[in-house]
Amino acid sequence: MTRDDSNWAKPVKTLELSDRDGAINANVRGRRLNAANGGFGRLSQKTFSVRIGREVTPQTVITTWKARFGDFWPKGQRMFLPATGIAPGEVGVINASIPGAPTMATGVLVIYADDVSFSFMSPEGHPFAGPLTFSAQSDESGITVAQVQELTRASDPFWELAMMVPVLGERMQNDIWRATLRNLAKHFGVDATVESKIVVVDSRRQWRNAKNIWQNAAIRSGLSAPLRLIRRS
Amino acid sequence: MAMTESTAPVRYRDGTAVVDLPAQIDASAERTLNEAYATAAGHGSKTVLLNFGRVEFLSSTGIALVVGILARARKDGRTITASGLSDHYREIFEITRLADFMKIYADESAALKGGEAT
Repeated sequence: MTRDDSNWAKPVKTLELSDRDGAINANVRGRRLNAANGGFGRLSQKTFSVRIGREVTPQTVITTWKARFGDFWPKGQRMFLPATGIAPGEVGVINASIPGAPTMATGVLVIYADDVSFSFMSPEGHPFAGPLTFSAQSDESGITVAQVQELTRASDPFWELAMMVPVLGERMQNDIWRATLRNLAKHFGVDATVESKIVVVDSRRQWRNAKNIWQNAAIRSGLSAPLRLIRRS
Repeated sequence: MAMTESTAPVRYRDGTAVVDLPAQIDASAERTLNEAYATAAGHGSKTVLLNFGRVEFLSSTGIALVVGILARARKDGRTITASGLSDHYREIFEITRLADFMKIYADESAALKGGEAT
């Protein structure tokens, strides 16, 4: 057994989920994970980082981030986690507002967690395919830096087009992490600028994965919205 | 961001740069890994083999570092391969789907011969 054994989730074929109170628990159960190579759009490597200061340790940042993950998201985005919180193998349900559309339901699998980092993988239908890593570390001068790193593609042609729409695309794919890191820093009393580094690693679209659109969480959430309203009434 | 001493010596065999990864791959290995890739790239090797034989701890930040190297190699037109992964790390490569981006071989000799990955 290696030292990181308990930090990693066991491989799963499909996601399992018990309903989360107050959440739209759709587009998660039975979904397979979708890696970057299973996505459609351009492959981008992104790093967003914020300097939080010397007073707070990386461990404190990650403990707080894990405990209050959804609180640091911008308004309209919600994460529903089990009581065990962000732990390897747990599934988080995401309910996200998209301008002019019903709330989109999707999720993530926590694939890794330790005291200075944690990672998610997205399932089919999620806007992005690929891993997301959240971490905190001390730089050479002892300043704690919090980071979000991803290597992702838009999952399908719908999301790829959405990401190309001025303002909306930037808001959906990048501003969410800039806002999250700003809010995280603010929690520790720091008003800091978030630095972004975005590199397009592969500008080709993967047309063989265009069929992913059948699993698109926004389209499926939109189609099932009237049914949910009927059930509620 | 280095906190822990780590080394990743680079060897050259049959036109391949072999990087012996350190025992611990997490945030503390960032500089080590980047320098090792730069050394391999500077040598002009078209293939870089990441030897995981010594690795005892791999965090998600470490995976992000490996992903960073993959991204750089892709841009540079280099091929990244891997060898020496224990069953546990093969499992991690399966979860993170890193295997989609690089061929994985049982050991260094198999990697240097090329051909079908395991």
